[in-house]
Amino acid sequence: MTSEQPFKIAVPDDALALLKRKLDDTRLPDEVNAAKWAYGAPLADIRRLVTRWRDGYDWRTHERELNALPMFTRTIAVDGFGELSVHYVHQKSATKGAIPLLFVHGWPGSFLEVTKVLPLLASVSEDHPSFHVVAPSLPGYAWSEGVLEKGFNAKHYAELFHKLMISLGYTEYVTQGGNWGHILALTTASLYGPMHVKASHTNSPVCEPPTFFGSPILLLKYWITSFTSREREAASITENFFKNGMGYYAEQTTKPQTIGYSLADSPVGLLAWIYEKLITWTDAYPWTDDEILTWISIYWFSRAGPAASVRIYYELTLSGEVIVFPKTAVPVGLSFFPKDVVQSPKVLLRSKGRIVFESEHKVGGIFAAYEQPEALVGDLRKMFGKSGPAAGVVPRCTGY
Amino acid sequence: MGSEQPFKIAVSDDALALLKRKLNDTRLPDEVNAAEWAYGAPLADIKRLANRWKDGYDWRTHERKLNALPMFTRTIEVDGFGELNVHYVHQKSTAKGAIPLLFVHGWPGCFLEVTKVLPLLKAVSADHPSFHVIAPSLPGYAWSEAVLKKGFNAKHYAELFNKLMISLGYTEYVTQGGDWGHILTLTAASLYGPKHVKASLTNMPICEPPTFGTPIVLLQCLIASFTSREREAVAASQDFFKSGMGYFREQSTKPQTLGFSLADSPVGLLAWIYEKLVTWTDSYPWTDDEVLTWISIYWFSRAGPAASVRIYYEIGDAVVGFPKTTIPVGLSFFPKELARFPKVLLRSKGRIVFESEHEAGGHFAAYEQPEALVGDLRKMFGKSGPAAGVVSGCDGY
Repeated sequence: MTSEQPFKIAVPDDALALLKRKLDDTRLPDEVNAAKWAYGAPLADIRRLVTRWRDGYDWRTHERELNALPMFTRTIAVDGFGELSVHYVHQKSATKGAIPLLFVHGWPGSFLEVTKVLPLLASVSEDHPSFHVVAPSLPGYAWSEGVLEKGFNAKHYAELFHKLMISLGYTEYVTQGGNWGHILALTTASLYGPMHVKASHTNSPVCEPPTFFGSPILLLKYWITSFTSREREAASITENFFKNGMGYYAEQTTKPQTIGYSLADSPVGLLAWIYEKLITWTDAYPWTDDEILTWISIYWFSRAGPAASVRIYYELTLSGEVIVFPKTAVPVGLSFFPKDVVQSPKVLLRSKGRIVFESEHKVGGIFAAYEQPEALVGDLRKMFGKSGPAAGVVPRCTGY
Repeated sequence: MGSEQPFKIAVSDDALALLKRKLNDTRLPDEVNAAEWAYGAPLADIKRLANRWKDGYDWRTHERKLNALPMFTRTIEVDGFGELNVHYVHQKSTAKGAIPLLFVHGWPGCFLEVTKVLPLLKAVSADHPSFHVIAPSLPGYAWSEAVLKKGFNAKHYAELFNKLMISLGYTEYVTQGGDWGHILTLTAASLYGPKHVKASLTNMPICEPPTFGTPIVLLQCLIASFTSREREAVAASQDFFKSGMGYFREQSTKPQTLGFSLADSPVGLLAWIYEKLVTWTDSYPWTDDEVLTWISIYWFSRAGPAASVRIYYEIGDAVVGFPKTTIPVGLSFFPKELARFPKVLLRSKGRIVFESEHEAGGHFAAYEQPEALVGDLRKMFGKSGPAAGVVSGCDGY
């Protein structure tokens, strides 16, 4: 494995010019009257965002801001897949005994999701633990190389992450993840814990694979009767998601290349595809237009292009079973956020591992670290802090 | 209702120039090694087609050819939705007693699907019936106006078609349809038969909603009573339900989100539809220009491509169904149709007077197998056919 290379994003002028030309020639659809969000991303929102993207939004400013982050690339070999160049954020705490934390994003996320928790996790105090943070971009996202061989599965992601941590000198570490990060980080814990992965935290606790054909709705209805009103609400959110919110999932798990042509070629197409989730999967998060456009631009300018980012859905489902809550032998923490899209019953989740920590929040959706950074870090501090249920899991790295 | 206006496609130079600019700036994705069709439309195919579309394909030539078709527009009022401008092909036979036939396409189809059967249906002979053909473009397709009000569902389509036929002087008629055409023509038969709709032939015989919960279970229960041929087709159906329904789930839940891509990206639209043109047909030997003309109709459509997928949102739940009808119904089975439903089940859904099992052909039967489909219509409606003379005074001769 080659040594760490500092990384700065440097989108070529040509790429900026192409984007500008495409935005200038955007052809928008019409819309059903009073559609609002019923049919998908609203026309008024997309029109406003495209207009801003075309005139006003300045990528170079945001590129500069992103380049202030401690970013690197390094090559990691994954068995059967050769060497992959991985882009990651690596922030060390000033405290030598800080807890090494692997932070794994999902779709349509990116390394941007770690940016708000970075200062909080690095903060040093007697009252709470401090963390070293390693936040890789998944292969095919941001500036991580995409995988062009078939069959890159959950265990390969785990191998990649684990080798990354080891190469950075973290032989023992903990994990945090949501969305795909939930599955991938727990897979890492499953395969490399308790020897290396000492504990895991998830902000989108989910179990049982949601298949199309296994009667998810029936299953949920069966459970509903025995639940608290909060659980019934969760079941209703989940049922609604299965019924109305899984179009992207169905396409990405079966024909990622077909949708990939649109995502690669059309800025407004990519914008709408992702923006719809940035709004519907968050809890009234007050996005600014430039915030959204930076999020989308990372996909647009990514090393592998946007089509690469949706292949994970195909590889982890059609080509094998997804184990949604892999079996682990390490302490696990669950944070529940009310606008998460799939909310599994707690009684089931508790049977899935050694659940030592639970936290129920009143605000927040899928992008917990981005929407509710203090809440999420609060949970990590409680879980790993001095009197926490996972205190001292990493020997000599108690966080103080 | 306005009187019939002859219609000629006349895409503006501006629109052609915009398409050219976009094609010149196409940004293609990479592809997993040896992907072939496993992940969707193959990169090599799309690259080749996009290059042809950019340099070589001449829309104006194809526009001229299409304008040789007998095309018209007329305004039809639909209760609760006001007036809609409908584009249609209307070809009359020279036979006085020709049978009026309403031909309804689906997605990702269009009026192009009727072009190959037109000369065959029109042919006059003592040996087979002749037909007057009316093939409307669904609202939001080709040059039919789109519906911008919520809730336009199967009965509204049926009303639109019935009023179109009546406005053309056909108070009694028969129907032929596949894909959306299957459910929409049978809805018309259900609502306007036997008074107006006298008989229907479907080339996509399906019934019972396969809920997302149990399509395979349902089919498996019924396997015991299948012929080996049906078993083969059912196995193929399972593949479709398992890995071919992504478009359906997105279009029936978030058509607008997808619509932004389809409206803005020629290559995105091309891939989205081309994938079906190949996987839903039975080794049909598409030429590149044939594909590009098909896609161009979507690209240059009056309402834009985003409008065409809204039908899935408005009536997605109803699509797999077999409305109750009292009129004679014919079923044409083509081996590469997407889903095979057991004959025993279909026969219980209506007065099935005609069945035909073909050795070749897929979803776009009229386009892939025009002789076979017209053969079925001739057998069903011909002199000794099971639906002979259903239309008063129009026996086809």
